Amino acid sequence: MIAKIVCYALNGLEGVPVEVETDVNKGVPSYDMVGLPDTAVKESKERVRSALKNSGLLFPMNRITINFAPADIKKEGASFDLAVAVSLLKASEQLVGVEMGDTVFLGELALNGDLRPIAGLLPILISAKGHGFNRFIIPAGNEKEARFLGGAEIYPAKTLGDVVRHLIGDVPIEPIETLSYVPQIKSRTSTDLKYVKGQPMARRALEIAVAGGHNLLMIGPPGTGKTMLARCIPTIMPDLSFEEALEITKIHSVAGVLGEEGIVFERPFRTPHHTATTVSMCGGGNRIVHPGEISLAHGGVLFLDELPEYKRSTLEALRQPLEDGKITVSRAGGTFTFPARFMLCASMNPCPCGNYGSSERTCSCTPAEIRRYRRKVSGPLLDRIDLQVEVDDIAYDDLTSDIKEEPSSAVKERVNRVRRIQHVRFENAGIHSNAEMGEAELAEYCTLTKEGDDILRNAFERMHLSARARSRIIKVARTIADLDGSEEILPKHVFEAVSYRIYDAIG
Amino acid sequence: MREYTEEERALIWLCACTRTEYRERTLLLRNGEAASLLRAPAEKLFALVGREFCASDPAKRQREAEELFSRLKRRGYFALTIADEDYPESLKYANSPPLVLFGMGKRELLGTRKFCIVGSRITPPWAEKMGRALAEELSEYFTIVTGLAEGGDLSAASGALAGGKLISVLPCGLEGCYPPAHTAWKTKIAASGLVLSESLFDEPIRKYAFHARNRILAGLSEGVLVLSAAKRSGALITADLALDCGREVFALPYPPAMVHGEGCNELIKKGACLVTEAEDILSAFGLERRERTQISLSPQEARVLDVLKTYGESHTAVIAEKASMSVFEVSAVLASLEIKGLAARAGGNKFNAV
Repeated sequence: MIAKIVCYALNGLEGVPVEVETDVNKGVPSYDMVGLPDTAVKESKERVRSALKNSGLLFPMNRITINFAPADIKKEGASFDLAVAVSLLKASEQLVGVEMGDTVFLGELALNGDLRPIAGLLPILISAKGHGFNRFIIPAGNEKEARFLGGAEIYPAKTLGDVVRHLIGDVPIEPIETLSYVPQIKSRTSTDLKYVKGQPMARRALEIAVAGGHNLLMIGPPGTGKTMLARCIPTIMPDLSFEEALEITKIHSVAGVLGEEGIVFERPFRTPHHTATTVSMCGGGNRIVHPGEISLAHGGVLFLDELPEYKRSTLEALRQPLEDGKITVSRAGGTFTFPARFMLCASMNPCPCGNYGSSERTCSCTPAEIRRYRRKVSGPLLDRIDLQVEVDDIAYDDLTSDIKEEPSSAVKERVNRVRRIQHVRFENAGIHSNAEMGEAELAEYCTLTKEGDDILRNAFERMHLSARARSRIIKVARTIADLDGSEEILPKHVFEAVSYRIYDAIG
Repeated sequence: MREYTEEERALIWLCACTRTEYRERTLLLRNGEAASLLRAPAEKLFALVGREFCASDPAKRQREAEELFSRLKRRGYFALTIADEDYPESLKYANSPPLVLFGMGKRELLGTRKFCIVGSRITPPWAEKMGRALAEELSEYFTIVTGLAEGGDLSAASGALAGGKLISVLPCGLEGCYPPAHTAWKTKIAASGLVLSESLFDEPIRKYAFHARNRILAGLSEGVLVLSAAKRSGALITADLALDCGREVFALPYPPAMVHGEGCNELIKKGACLVTEAEDILSAFGLERRERTQISLSPQEARVLDVLKTYGESHTAVIAEKASMSVFEVSAVLASLEIKGLAARAGGNKFNAV
């Protein structure tokens, strides 16, 4: 008898339906798997055999052929175990009379018959729902991840035995109750702007960067709180909408880094170390392609501490995703596109010794050394970083320690207001923030007054700004004007935007 | 270009084709017409210097000289000898005037009034800005003479370059450049101003070459302005050399205990003219300062500039407090002042008035 069971394979962020066909024939006992299974899938034979035995079920001693269709995509991982086991049971007539053509089986088996959670469940569920499947049996360990998918019957099973008893109607499993999404922020007590002493310039730059989705570079002596400032960015970013949360969860699910909650509530804050390779940054892998750090930072912040220490090629690889908000990775197994719309926040020392501009210590670097150090970050990458701000060293804080610092919540309120303005502005343009404006939007929303234009022209001549920096400055000026509640971009907005291009001025 | 006279040819040959030191060259010249060097019997020449320093065959010397001239011509360089009529008087009567200078660019700049601006490689941003502004204004009256090193020298060069009244003296041959990173500058200056060198085309740089170059800087100019100098700095050598040949020395004042300005303050203590604006230099030469177009300031800009001038180098937040404005308003105003060339960023969010 032939049995057909549906399960899913992952292809980038998309689930692809795979039919597991099992035929049990009379003959010398054998077990063949066809249809491009990889090693982990082939090994399912031993897991399935033991799991069946230990669940009190029978592993048929016949000639068994298992086919994975379609045969042309590579099947990887252990998520087919449950489907293989169930199809084997069906083909060996241990599940007579059970109709399950529209049920999707997902899960990895342990030798004792337990079901283990799998990576990438949420993207599979979303794709399968799109393909018209409404009934799923998933490992109980994945339950939380599935709770937010409405409009489907999802049965979380602990063991293979549970699955069988559920299918034959002995002990039905309760379907998962759908939860509605409420953004919640874990209150991490130590991360809040109110704990950042002083730094008026950096605070303002942070606010502008988040409000308009601009990229930010913080330059400052070591130990002045650059990292702490960066960690505060997620606390002032607008809450995730359900769609955003789902998209981020999909990526994190595929990468297998999903936390306890099952869905990502908070904007991600990724801090890859400077030894990170280009592949770990952008995504890749042998055959199956995993999303890289920039995709994991999608919707959140990618923080690169000590920017000049990163490998040049790794940094250059960021240029295209910074423009497009996505990355396409091509491998032998296929071409995969992952979303990668993140805010880049980088930090670096002002010079090799770190003391340039410090009021306490003297810098011992020659101008040539400083230039060489700064040149490690290429011009094209710097051009994509709209806000460059110097972080003060501690000595200055002593001057103004009596000032009460603003908490993140107050800043976030202003950010939300500006984001709403942008939301209305770009409703039909398919973009989200000022930073993403193209030439058309620039022309429509960012007309400069004659005076403003003169300022920019002057700035180019006096500060030796590159022509490429022009549109970036205008975009930042637009955000500053939004923060100011001004329809028009006034000269003072342009001036402030120019003041964040210090790298061009001092570099 | 006119042909070189026989004497000039001999001088160029002496400086370019022989293995002689400056001292030996002057010795040779003191003992007779330069013109006869090419023809003189070898024994006589060798006896004067005390060693063999060139080809003994006069015909070969002649050939060497010919080769040299065609090479000069090919490269578009000119050679200026001490025997030349347009050899600058001021240099001629300075200490150890170079016998031959190689140059590329506008030779006529040698006949103008010249003023030297130098500074050490580490020059604070406000002093660089000031150097640029001073060079720009002074280049209306003088040709600015400077080196090519970064910091002070380059800020002066960038101020004067646009007007084309700029002479840059290299410590190495004209084909090279020191620092090598500034080759593009050399090309630009050769195109609109003049680049000079005492060394032959591709002669590598030697330790003493900077000292030797500085004597040309000082010798060419009527005065020297030092933008920045630590206690031991090449800029101070230039100033000392200028004093030796009786030139006027000027220096920017620095607050005490600023490493990169100690040399300047030392100069002022010893009697150098303190410079805060172009007027200070012009009046020393009895020149009338021409009316400059006034830069118009908004009330806010005026307020911030006032704070900067009152309190000196200040942090943006401090300026904001003193000017009773918000921090980001001040950074916008400071950016505008920076663009107008009235303020300079000093690193660490601090600013100076210029």
